[in-house]
Amino acid sequence: MNTNIIPALAGAALLLAPGLVLAQGAPPPAWAQGRSPEMANSTLAPHAGRLTVTPPDQLPTAQLRVPEGFQVELWAHGLPGARVMVRGPNGTIFVGTRGIGRVYAVREEGGQRRVSTFMQGLTQPSGLAIRDGALYISAINRMLRVDNVEQNLSNPQPVDLTAAFNLPEAPHHGWTHIAFGPDGRLYVPRGVPCNICDTDGERYALIASFNPDGSDRRIEARGVRNSVGFDFHPRTGQLWFSNHGRDWAGNDNPSDTLHVNMRRGEHHGFPWCHSGWQDPAVSGRLCSEFPPPALILGPHVAPIGTHFYTGTAFPEQYRNALFIANRGSWNRERLSGYEVVVVREAEGGRLVQEPFLTGFRDDANQRFLGRPAGVLTMPDGSMLVSDEQNGAIFRITYRR
Amino acid sequence: MRALAFLAAALLAAATPAWAADATRGAALAEARNCAACHGANGISAVPLMPSLAGQQAEFLLVQLIMFREGLRPVPAMVEPARGLTDGEIEDLAAFYAALPSGPAATDPRNEALAARGAELSAARNCSTCHRPDYSGQAQVPRINHQREDFLVHTLAEYRDNLRVGMDTQMNGVMHGLTNADIRAIAHYLAHR
Repeated sequence: MNTNIIPALAGAALLLAPGLVLAQGAPPPAWAQGRSPEMANSTLAPHAGRLTVTPPDQLPTAQLRVPEGFQVELWAHGLPGARVMVRGPNGTIFVGTRGIGRVYAVREEGGQRRVSTFMQGLTQPSGLAIRDGALYISAINRMLRVDNVEQNLSNPQPVDLTAAFNLPEAPHHGWTHIAFGPDGRLYVPRGVPCNICDTDGERYALIASFNPDGSDRRIEARGVRNSVGFDFHPRTGQLWFSNHGRDWAGNDNPSDTLHVNMRRGEHHGFPWCHSGWQDPAVSGRLCSEFPPPALILGPHVAPIGTHFYTGTAFPEQYRNALFIANRGSWNRERLSGYEVVVVREAEGGRLVQEPFLTGFRDDANQRFLGRPAGVLTMPDGSMLVSDEQNGAIFRITYRR
Repeated sequence: MRALAFLAAALLAAATPAWAADATRGAALAEARNCAACHGANGISAVPLMPSLAGQQAEFLLVQLIMFREGLRPVPAMVEPARGLTDGEIEDLAAFYAALPSGPAATDPRNEALAARGAELSAARNCSTCHRPDYSGQAQVPRINHQREDFLVHTLAEYRDNLRVGMDTQMNGVMHGLTNADIRAIAHYLAHR
């Protein structure tokens, strides 16, 4: 069925959507809505992902760089599309994907690490969360729960919670990150089904939370164009989320952003304001009406994994610091992102970021060797980082 | 860097050795799986609703075959042909069809008014950015010229109606809001280029 994304947009009425002043003509495609005239002849297009196994000798392991005292090694491979990672109470690492439709399980058996395809045939199962031994899987509008998941790795019998959550069916920007908050509720963002457009703000451009059974939906954050990574501050419990800025407005504008949700239902600016930049294509409200982002991450860097390091093995300045995996740009003439950055508080509480895991981006040749996507703290204080392009997981450790 | 010893699942392990796509092996596999019955001896389909594969982008073919194998793109006729294909075999098949010369444009009469409407719609949606100005495609973005018109109509409607997604969801967004008449016009324009 055709999703009813924008009720006002039947036929020519599309051009008259309130609040938007877009170019005349037929509605542009999702990724090109609001394309500026100077980018009309751009040849930029999304990069091809890779759905086949990348052999270990083709992985960029030797090119990866971490700060002094840290080491990076290959931890697992053969997981095409590896993205988000969560850990079950008995140590199984579950790995979500998008295009290939799989959820992988990685576990240690008899001293060996085994990768298996735990579920498959799902549409963009990019969101995973663990609670009380159950794995929650978000795949666009579907929400599945596998109880006692680590006891049922070979024969999962998911409980279908899709109807209870009643998430929008629109696939575009419908892939999502999910996680349980310190309040025990399941947080589920929903991006806009377009680049920029006027949408139902009760359904899209938001982060909602639910009881684990899908009841009692609450909107936690509004005006969020597309958040695919968030976490809760280990001390304050506040929701920190990254957000993808719009495309086709230029190489350096707007930036992707990091936000702290200071109160329930706070509006963060979409579609009028992106990273403090007033969108000339959209009239109606001003940037000054919205809280500024906590940090400007950079243009088109594409933040995915957004994760507080909760271990103690890294040096003091990394504890409770926020790690963000920037999957990397497509809508920019020179590549940006393709690295993991660490965000810390500087003097006066100001946030600063610095590169942490680099080497995926080859500036000289304008190519990329991998795309970091997920970040996870392990019980021993090491950190896992997934590489979606290569279907690999790297492990970062610290030794004095 | 130290590579840890670990054991991948059988399916993954089988595909792990470095593999160079080989069109000759792909040709043998296409014959064994009887691909020509629907897609034509030279990859140019004579069967209604069956796509031509000749000259298609290898990366696009690879993605689609993986989606058939994984049950992500539900086409009953492709269930058996894709069953059990390894990643390497899929790469071979993709290399074989990508190397065949793509077919001619449709030979039935071109309806100028319909084609003009299709050209207008395609321009407004910037189809040529990803599919390239000659519509021959690039990487995971398919060739959409030299294709059966009835297949184009069918597949564009599937994207519009969210009956299929690609490796990402770009085409679902692109097709949002188009009518059946719009889709017929775009397909006619593309098939007659």
